[in-house]
Amino acid sequence: MQNFNFLADDGLVDALLMELAGLLDTLISDHRPGAIDLLGLPLSAACLAALEQRLGHGEITATLTASGTSETRETGFAGIWWTTHQDEAGRIVAMLIEVAEIPEILRASQADMQQARRNLLDATNFTLARQTK
Amino acid sequence: MNATDETLGEMLAKNGFSRRGLLKFAIAMTTSLALPPSMAMAMAENLAAAKRQSVIWLSFQECTGCLETLLRSSAPTIAALIFDFISLDYQEALMAAAGSAAELTLRQAVAANKGKFLLAIDGSVPVADGGVYSLTGGKSNVSMLEEIAPDAAAILAIGTCAAYGGIPKAHPNPTGAVGVEDVITDKPIVNIPGCPPIPEVLSGVLVYFVSFGRLPDLDDKKRPLAYFGTTIHDQCYRRPFYDQGKFAKSFDDEGARQGWCLFELGCKGPTTHNACASIKWNDNTSFPIESGHGCLGCSEPDFWDQEGGFYTSLAGAAGPGWRNTGIAAAAGLAAGTAAAFTARRKAQEPKE
Repeated sequence: MQNFNFLADDGLVDALLMELAGLLDTLISDHRPGAIDLLGLPLSAACLAALEQRLGHGEITATLTASGTSETRETGFAGIWWTTHQDEAGRIVAMLIEVAEIPEILRASQADMQQARRNLLDATNFTLARQTK
Repeated sequence: MNATDETLGEMLAKNGFSRRGLLKFAIAMTTSLALPPSMAMAMAENLAAAKRQSVIWLSFQECTGCLETLLRSSAPTIAALIFDFISLDYQEALMAAAGSAAELTLRQAVAANKGKFLLAIDGSVPVADGGVYSLTGGKSNVSMLEEIAPDAAAILAIGTCAAYGGIPKAHPNPTGAVGVEDVITDKPIVNIPGCPPIPEVLSGVLVYFVSFGRLPDLDDKKRPLAYFGTTIHDQCYRRPFYDQGKFAKSFDDEGARQGWCLFELGCKGPTTHNACASIKWNDNTSFPIESGHGCLGCSEPDFWDQEGGFYTSLAGAAGPGWRNTGIAAAAGLAAGTAAAFTARRKAQEPKE
């Protein structure tokens, strides 16, 4: 089967970079995060690669293991993150550019922290109970 | 399968899923449902707090293919848990109860969830001769539908038969088969057509309803826009060949081997709205066009009775060279028969 190597549409990449600049502006002024759903855009593989190259790599890369692997990394532009979510089978189920101080998925949730506290106390009580026997 | 007070968040936590996992699921669902990414957080919060959604599922004039495809889920993903999370209060093929016990279950489920349950229907509704062509417990499908639908919050017509009548409605339609929307006109209805429908579309609609308490935006045929907003043709990986005028002329020519466009072989991708080309089937493995056959248009009304049939192109061309294929097959059969006859005669000849 033939493989078509589409040319990257620099105009589209430039438009996305302009949108990111606008979202960054909103984050700086209003502390309101934003995101662009890359799978929802008609981007060719070449276009996506060009966008990724223009954004570059920053200092942070985080890997999340929850219902499959996710990777979020800061781009060369502070506050702009490239996040890829894969399911258990390794398929990409979401690909986003997030504009945030830190992507929401990296934060520990209140519910998880409360559960963690209960688990810690249970573990401590278990140890104490064992020591007093 | 009775409803409980357990929330989805609690149930997921019990099964070892963190809130990050749920947020990730919500992000994937917003992508799938073509919602703004900013809605993912709200969806995750709503899902975490959601209670079990009652679903009453009635099977009418159908082949069980729709139910079969929806049950074929892989690993225990959150999507699978979403299916577990719905309270499937009545489904004849899956429930243990039968006979009068099943009928009692149905009455109890409707009474307990009046005005709140989602009514899922697969199969068409035969209305000819008083609906006698499909009965459950002596009651016609049409009378069951008319009796239960008024108490539902909304109706999900699953599969092309329930949505538009499907194959049972094909000419000459001896049972007078129609879709649910031809019988029930005063309830919100979502059509999820396909023969069979794509499981992810049903999970998307369910997640949307559980998250936001309403149905997603629909197109003019009552299909969720997020999944049926574009044609197969627009998403097809063979589209560049169409644009370049490169078409397979038969199913085994050089063009077919090169993966060229199947338009001239009758592919209905340009007029068919569905998500097959993007979501695909069998865990994103393939879809008919990727397997070498044109789209039949199974998510459109009256697809079985299309003018010219499945192999006539939308431009009216004759389609593949069946005549030549038939001659080749006949010649092959004749040659094979002659060879077998010769071999048998030789075997029967006395050995020297």
